[in-house]
Amino acid sequence: MNRSLRSAAAFAAALSFFTASAASGADPQLCAACHGSEGNSVISANPSIAAQPGQFISMQLFQFREGNRKDPQMTPMAANLSNKEMNELAAYFSKQKAAAPSHKTAPESAAAGPNLAQQFNCVQCHGPALLGQQHIPRLAGQQFEYLRTQLRGFKAQTRADLDGNMTSAAQALSDKDVEILADYLSGLPAP
Amino acid sequence: MKSYRVISAAFLAAFTAAAFAQQPPAAPPPSWQQGRTPEQASSTLHPFAPHLTGRPSSELPLDKLKVPAGFKVEVWADGIPEARSLALGDKGTVFVSNRIAKNVYAVVDKDGKREVKTILKGLNAPNGVAFSKGTLYVAERHRITRYDGIESSLDNPSEGKVVIDGLDPQTQPGHFWKFLAQGPDGKLYFNVGAPGNIVMPGYFQASISRVDPKTGVMDTYAQGVRNSVGFAWHPVTNQLWFTEHGRDWLGDDSPSDELNVATKKGQNFGYPYCHQGDTLDPEFGKNRSCSEFTPPVIKLGAHVAPLGMRFYTGKMFPAEYRNNIFLARHGSWNRTTKQGYDIYRVALNENGKVVNAEPFLTGFLTDEKADPPMWGRPVDVLQMKDGSLLFSDDYNGILYRISYAKK
Repeated sequence: MNRSLRSAAAFAAALSFFTASAASGADPQLCAACHGSEGNSVISANPSIAAQPGQFISMQLFQFREGNRKDPQMTPMAANLSNKEMNELAAYFSKQKAAAPSHKTAPESAAAGPNLAQQFNCVQCHGPALLGQQHIPRLAGQQFEYLRTQLRGFKAQTRADLDGNMTSAAQALSDKDVEILADYLSGLPAP
Repeated sequence: MKSYRVISAAFLAAFTAAAFAQQPPAAPPPSWQQGRTPEQASSTLHPFAPHLTGRPSSELPLDKLKVPAGFKVEVWADGIPEARSLALGDKGTVFVSNRIAKNVYAVVDKDGKREVKTILKGLNAPNGVAFSKGTLYVAERHRITRYDGIESSLDNPSEGKVVIDGLDPQTQPGHFWKFLAQGPDGKLYFNVGAPGNIVMPGYFQASISRVDPKTGVMDTYAQGVRNSVGFAWHPVTNQLWFTEHGRDWLGDDSPSDELNVATKKGQNFGYPYCHQGDTLDPEFGKNRSCSEFTPPVIKLGAHVAPLGMRFYTGKMFPAEYRNNIFLARHGSWNRTTKQGYDIYRVALNENGKVVNAEPFLTGFLTDEKADPPMWGRPVDVLQMKDGSLLFSDDYNGILYRISYAKK
């Protein structure tokens, strides 16, 4: 899907979102336009939010609403969410099952990835199977383009970061490392 | 020839830097990682992030909380994301600060029902709150402001007036959040933490300083204080007691965090040279002696992160609690087997000497080997007018109340 189509879909979702949220709590179905059915994204630039740690989801929604993390699509989506609604969305999506990854990792990345994930301390926080924990996201099976964009953003020191940990960790990555890690991680199975 | 090469290399480096000006200099590690040995770089120990949207108390295992016989603990208010420091208004308003969020909240108790109002927004790490004579003082990262008559204008507070600005001229890393309390001299006391885990502090860093709210003139009261996020004055001696966090990455059991007393202005409590009064720092302590510095009154345990503290002067608790210290232990994260996560009681005799120190409220720590090991984290304590004790929990955004009923 090209960018303008994505934006149009997001806009439509946002419109229906605000209409619906005026009447009731936040409806997880409204997240589906961009994040896919049950939060399993089919768009490479959009993250899957299914089976992400609940604390990670609620924290990111909070950061978007408070303007600490900015995104043309997510900032308006989060703007009118209450803490309670954020908690409800986080609880819902954290309980959804992750779909099998559609990304096919290149053999070179599959070979080099595990060592890089060790060397650059990815597993240290994201866990041995890279499934995330607490406020730290699941990377296994995440969308390729999304992962690459985040890593590039952390390296460029432009991506919002709670305590500077990821910004610091990404400094050691070469452009090639970013490609390999994104390629490796997005093809990893998530239970 | 040699110097020419150096110069040309420098020129080349500068040229390269200019040519790739869109590449910023490499970001340093977060300050909590600073001071790790190379072997510790793969450590999985990490600070715990709060649930920034708060968690409803109905979802928490409150029955795990334990207090001594005759005492009772209950949830007083929830839905106060990242509840940190507490201050009590003359009319009973409880002011609540936070650190990552940018707000100050007011909790109003009306006929037993509590309403949480967001009274200030868009502040810069407003961790410190103090109340005196109708005025709320707020310590942000870089300044202290005052809100006069705040309790009559909770729904529409006026713009704050600056007491002092320029407290963080370099946007320091590390411990930039401030605790705030008014001393018996009427001055506002606040910490300026060390700009990292174990680093040489700069001008007025690693101190407790104070400012006269009338003149805006500040001076440094205590030095060598790595980071203190809790202090109070003894009700009889009027001396300043304060909690202090020791450095990290020196092992599970070293060094201990501290409870200190500043008996006068100008004392140095050792950081970064000497920890816990008797342990020289492996790097900064070379060629120094701990005898140069004021030792702690007691050690509070390694990495337990003692925060807010108050002397108990109420009448609700039994007489032996009078002038005892209650303090909140917010950690630990920097040890493989966790400890702390409790409200801690330090009993003093009539001369102000410590006679006993032990956990008073426990139960947040449920699995000392788990990640996370706890389901709540105490930050600050506050004595209410009826003699009950409130404490805040920033992990969940909850205030709890401890009361005592005679059997």
